[in-house]
Amino acid sequence: MSPNAQANQSPKNVASAVAAVVPQGTLQRLKVSDIKPNPNNPRMLFDRLPLNDLKENIRQHGVLVPITVYEVKGQKKYAILDGERRYRCCLELEDEGLKLTIPANIVDPPDKIAGILYMFSIHNFREQWELMPTALSLQIVMKELGDEDTSRLSKITGLSEPQIDRCKLLLEFPQKYQDMSLEPDRATRIPSNFWTEAYPVLNLAEETLPTIAKKIGRDGITDKLVEKYRAKRIKSVIHFRRIIEAYDVTSEDKKEQKRVVDRLAEYITNVDLETRQAFDEFVVDNRRIQGSINACKDFVSLLKRSKLEHALEKDELIVALKRVKEYVEKLLQKLEGSDEPAIDKKNK
Amino acid sequence: MHRFKKILNTIKYSYHYLWACYYFSDYKPQPITIRGIINWLNQFDEKDRKIILALLHKVTYYSEKETESIIVDLNEQLLERLEKADIPLKKVIYVQIHDPGSSSPVMLSIVRDRGRIERKGCYFIDSKNVREILETTTKLEQGAIIYVDDFAASGDQFAEAREFLAQHIIGNFSEFFLLPVICEEAHSKLSRLGVEPITRTIHSKADRPLHPHSSLLDKASKDRLIDICRQIDKRGGLGYKELATMVVFYRNSPNSLPVILRGCVKQNPWRGILPRTTDLP
Repeated sequence: MSPNAQANQSPKNVASAVAAVVPQGTLQRLKVSDIKPNPNNPRMLFDRLPLNDLKENIRQHGVLVPITVYEVKGQKKYAILDGERRYRCCLELEDEGLKLTIPANIVDPPDKIAGILYMFSIHNFREQWELMPTALSLQIVMKELGDEDTSRLSKITGLSEPQIDRCKLLLEFPQKYQDMSLEPDRATRIPSNFWTEAYPVLNLAEETLPTIAKKIGRDGITDKLVEKYRAKRIKSVIHFRRIIEAYDVTSEDKKEQKRVVDRLAEYITNVDLETRQAFDEFVVDNRRIQGSINACKDFVSLLKRSKLEHALEKDELIVALKRVKEYVEKLLQKLEGSDEPAIDKKNK
Repeated sequence: MHRFKKILNTIKYSYHYLWACYYFSDYKPQPITIRGIINWLNQFDEKDRKIILALLHKVTYYSEKETESIIVDLNEQLLERLEKADIPLKKVIYVQIHDPGSSSPVMLSIVRDRGRIERKGCYFIDSKNVREILETTTKLEQGAIIYVDDFAASGDQFAEAREFLAQHIIGNFSEFFLLPVICEEAHSKLSRLGVEPITRTIHSKADRPLHPHSSLLDKASKDRLIDICRQIDKRGGLGYKELATMVVFYRNSPNSLPVILRGCVKQNPWRGILPRTTDLP
């Protein structure tokens, strides 16, 4: 099934919504002061260097390609749908004393969905764009179109499928938490990825810590994590992954996994306990072992590829391999007998 | 002899004292009294007092009554215009752009209460409430957004708040900034953003005696006053961004007012005649 055919299967025809922004209007020449920049368009979106080239081009030849605008009701101005860069160059040229008019294709204002889709197209270009406002807009799109299919939504909005999934996940959080990511002040705003990273931890806590979950609920656990974040005891939100990793790597050893769960309980209740401090001991060792296993595989593979069996100048190689053998034997001896003494040491 | 001189000065400047007490009579942050004016003036050299009083006379003061009357009138005119443009009150969103307690919410509550517009179905939103902006504009699809405040000097604060909020406006909305007075710098900035200022007065650079573009005072007096401002506060003596504005509202003075008039933070070491609320000890 083609993407378009898929999109057309949604309850309302999304293709028509997108088509609403396609210009079909009358051509006029507008004064720069008649034009209103699109409010959704943040100023930092434009690179200075290409803008300078465009400006010089306009200085010499004027605006050749019409911009696309729609009339703003009540303000006697035209808002830009397409051509923000051309407009900004003209604005600067006017400041330098050049009087310009801009050819403009005047179209009907975009409808609600087309407006949101236009907003997505701008947000997709913006660096450091917070995902929560996008999630809220996506919620409107899903509601209006009656479609929640990730793949189709991705095609309509231009957001990637993982972005759509993350947005959906954000929408699962209660409004009070969503609002924490909508704070205008960066200093107090909780970043959107806090929720996406905390989500599996909350699931794990609910699943493995029924007493705490019953006592304070999922929101109570979330509050504790927020409190911890605000107290700067979560240095980076990706450290939440260590909790899940710690739980997963101990899955073969129930006793050890129980320790992870106990630590999680302590981590939730004790705001001062930092994430890495709490869980590194479970995951760092595992990472080291996994790294060593990979090194062994790479070492053998490299030797195999070198076809050393028929090498003529082999003396130096033999010495080197014997050193490896010696080291490996010693290591194997230590590894085979290491568990008990270590436990004994602990018990002393 | 000293006592005699003091009495002579009081008589000499008595007209100015009485004028200031009357003109700034409802200034909220600090009552304007004859004692207060004398104490303020006595901080400066006697030879400078005349030009300092001349500067005080150049302040345009907006009393509570006048401010309310202007903002209500402007709002009524704007709503009439919107109605003619086929934008009913039910499609109008009023936005307060600063924290509770600052001017914007106060002006908005005047517009709401005096204009009795809440009952007519308008929306009232805080500029920080992104969710409400998104949901309301989505619901209305088109209409007008009216930001409300009393004064804009550089327009920086407004532009920042509006830029954050505007990214979440969905649909076709005209935007207005309703305020009694706006500086020409802010007026130009807002026009570029596509927000139309609805105002009674544009406070031009020429109306500000300590601004380089003004010739309201003779050069010697102007230079001396600028010098005093810089002595009090080397960098911020002429107010925010050296705008040297001369507009004061009954609720507060803007931070763009020269320091001679508004005084230092905590009014220490220099007291002001029209201190800002946040600068009071």
